[in-house]
Order: sequence, then structure tokens, then C-alpha cells
Amino acid sequence: MTPALNIQNLRKVYRGGTVAVDGLSMRVEEGDFFGFLGPNGAGKSTTIHCVTGIATVTSGTVEVFGLDAVKNYREARRLVGLSPQEFNVDVFATPVQIVDWMGGYFGIPAAERKRRIEELLERFDLVEHRKKPFRELSGGLKRRVILARALIHKPKLLILDEPTAGVDVELRIDLWRYLGEMNRDGTTILLTTHYLEEVERLCRTVAIVSRGKIVRNGPLDEFLTGDGLEAAYLGATGARPDRIAAGAGK
Amino acid sequence: MTVNWIGLWTIIRRELSRLFRVPIQAFIAPWVSALLFIFIFGFVVGPRISSIGGHRYLEFVLPGILMMNIVNAAFLQATSQIYFQRFMRYVEESLVAPLSYAEMITGTLATVVFRTISTAVGILVIAAIFGAVELQSFGEFLFWVIVVSGIFGLLGIAVGLWAKNFEQLTVLNIFFITPLSFVGGVFNTVSMLPPWLRWLAWGNPFFYFINGIRHSMIGFEEAPEMLGAGLSLAMFALLAVGVWRLFSVGYGLRE
Repeated sequence: MTPALNIQNLRKVYRGGTVAVDGLSMRVEEGDFFGFLGPNGAGKSTTIHCVTGIATVTSGTVEVFGLDAVKNYREARRLVGLSPQEFNVDVFATPVQIVDWMGGYFGIPAAERKRRIEELLERFDLVEHRKKPFRELSGGLKRRVILARALIHKPKLLILDEPTAGVDVELRIDLWRYLGEMNRDGTTILLTTHYLEEVERLCRTVAIVSRGKIVRNGPLDEFLTGDGLEAAYLGATGARPDRIAAGAGK
Repeated sequence: MTVNWIGLWTIIRRELSRLFRVPIQAFIAPWVSALLFIFIFGFVVGPRISSIGGHRYLEFVLPGILMMNIVNAAFLQATSQIYFQRFMRYVEESLVAPLSYAEMITGTLATVVFRTISTAVGILVIAAIFGAVELQSFGEFLFWVIVVSGIFGLLGIAVGLWAKNFEQLTVLNIFFITPLSFVGGVFNTVSMLPPWLRWLAWGNPFFYFINGIRHSMIGFEEAPEMLGAGLSLAMFALLAVGVWRLFSVGYGLRE
């Protein structure tokens, strides 16, 4: 079966020579809920940026449902939705405008777009905030707008780069439920997060990246055996032994 | 390859909504500036200057004023559109979408043309109030407005991609556009220049732009209009290829 995402030997070197991703290979199967973990600066966001076109690829290949994300970028983009870590929006625009413009970019006709926007505003409790400028919204509301924007075109592969950072408990639980539903309905989800409880609750497969490379990859169950996910994570990322022991509760 | 028409229209309507958030800066400022030029040259300086090629001085100078404003509007629109998207990072919204480079460039240029035509129409209305509008060929006039908008729109896109801060956005305007437009025949004919300076006019693209729009309005020309039209189209084509290349390598856009 064609994987939802297939990355082979991805390398990304920034101008100035910083190697952000160094020969990274990974495969996300269709329908999977995939946890993509790693410390800050490990190369998670850069990998995501290479998949979605925000960053250029230095070498290697990225395929989305079998489509080359560089050569067939237009077709590949249609299948991917991105909720980035940072708020990359026109802060003077309203939630409706932000979601509507993204729908337009994806070629969704006006009537369908309107219906979908209403659905997403309702889903993320944004109805009463629909006409407020983005910059006047709270952190949690901003995050909801970004999520609604990522979902406007019903992507087959949803990439969430730390979607629950700065989000209140209620929205986090609500979001978990919604993501679970989406995944059950067939959407493949790639999630990066620093909250390991989130991974344990949602993901079926986990990959840990450190210094631009995948250092451990496998089903979640494999990480849960032994000292648990936290210890496995700390061990894989080369954390100090005392921290690994603390992670394992020793 | 099919065109993403809805995506293209979204680029345009999105930028128009941004433009209408700053109407004073986008529309009123050039109209006020043109009004002052028209008043000074039409009623203060103009009556003391003998006619040029059988035209009142205001009629002679109006196409130049119009062209200066078109150039400025086109350049400012394109630089601000691209730079703001980069500065606030919402350029990423178009990068993750199924939009081609040609659609992104065309969308930007379409809003540039909208702004320059609005600027031109406003100035023509003001000039009409002062009884100074003559339009000998509307087709020619439209050609010059659109081609010059395209040239400076593309140049603005390139500068918007290159600039690292707001200061750099103004460099080209201060050191290239304003000086060349002033010595390109806005206020005078080439024959009024000292002989040793005339070569500068002939080598100045602004001279051909002003010459062309002046011919379309009052029928006065100092150089063959077709030569100017050919040079302008060649400039447009060259810049279009250059900007397309910048987009395709992700210059200033992608990490």
C-alpha cells in the first residue's frame, strides 16, 4: 500500500551551513496516527517544512501518497493540511477571512467554502469570535483558528506541529477527541508535541528524531514496554543518565 | 497544467481587502499629490511658461505627473504586498497551497494594475476638473498604464523578496525611480536639457514611458513611440522571467 508520507534520506542544510536534517528517512502509513518526537532543534519542524513546501529540500525525496512533494508539488499540497507551530497569519484579518482565504487557495468553490467555514467555526467554538481581528484573540482561540484553517480542504494527511502548545485543558481534551474522530474517519495524522501523555493517548506509531536523524521508530506499544515512553524518549535522544533514570521513575 | 482560478482570484481579493484597509495611503495620497502638482503647474507656474508643441504647460506636464504616480503606486503595491507577507509569515499560507508560481505572480500583478488604474482614474478626474484632460488614444493610454504597472510591479516583487527590512524597501525608490523619473521628461522636453545631458534622457527608460503616455494623451512625442513600446515589452518579459525564476528557487520565500 502507498504510504501517506514517505521520506527518504532527507537532508536540509540552511544557508550558513547549519545542518537541520541529516539523512532522515521515515514512513507514515495511510490511516496512522504518527507521533513525531524530538527535542527542540532536532529537525522536526524543518522536516515538516520540507514536506509542506515552506522549506526547500537540499537532497533526498519526500512523497505524499506516492506524489513527489517537489516535482508534483501542486498535487501533493492538495492532500496535506498543516497546523504550524507559529502563527503565520495576517494578524489584522478575522478568523472567517483567514479560513476563507485558505479555502480559496485550495480551489474550493465559494458555496462549499462557506458551508465548510461555518462547520469549522462551530466545531472550534469560534462563532462568536468570527469577526474579531486575529491579533485580538487569546492564545487558545488563535490556535483554534490555525486548526480550522488547516482543515478547510479536508486533507488526507494532517500535520500538526505542537497544536496544543499554550492551549487550555478544555480545548486540549476537545481537540484530542476531534483528532481521534478524524483519524477514525480515515485521516492520517502526523503529530509533533512535547506532551508525551498526548502521544500515549493518541498515537499508534512513534518516531524520535535527534540531531536531524531518526534515532528510534516503531509502534507505540514497543515504547511503552520497559521503563515507558519518557525513559525511551530520553534514552533515544541521548539525555544524561540521571535524567533517564528520573524519567523511568527510579 | 490547469489554472487554479479560485486560488488566483483569492490572491487578488485578499490583497484588495488589505489595500482597502489603508485607503489614505493607497489612493488619497497620490491624488492629493497630483492635485498639488496640477494646481502649481496649471495656475502658478504654467501661465508664465510658453506652450510646448502647441500645448499648455499643464497639458504637457500632466502625463508625466500621471506616469510618476503610476510608477510609484505599482512599485509600492508590489513591494508592500510581498514584504508584508514575508514579514508576518503568512506567505507560508500560499506556499503550502496548490498555487503555481505563475498564479502567485499574476495575482500580485493584478492587484498592482487595479491600484495603478484607480490612481490614474483619480488623477484624470482631478485634471478634468481643472480642464486639462486630453486623451487622444484610450487604447494606447491603457497599454502604457498596464505595461508600466507590470514592469514596476515585477521590480517591486523582486525588491520585496530581497529586502530584509523596511529601510531596504525604499532604496530603489529613492536612488533609482525618483531621480530617473525627474530627469525622464516629466517637467521638460529633452531639447530643454543641455546638449551634454541629452544622452541621459535617451538611455533612461522613464523617458520612453513618459513619452508614450504623453503621446497617447496629447499626441506629442520626442522619440518614436513604437521604439519605447518595444523596449518596455522587452523589459517586462525579462523581468517576468527573472521573477518567475526567483519564485521557482524560493528566493526570499522558502527557508
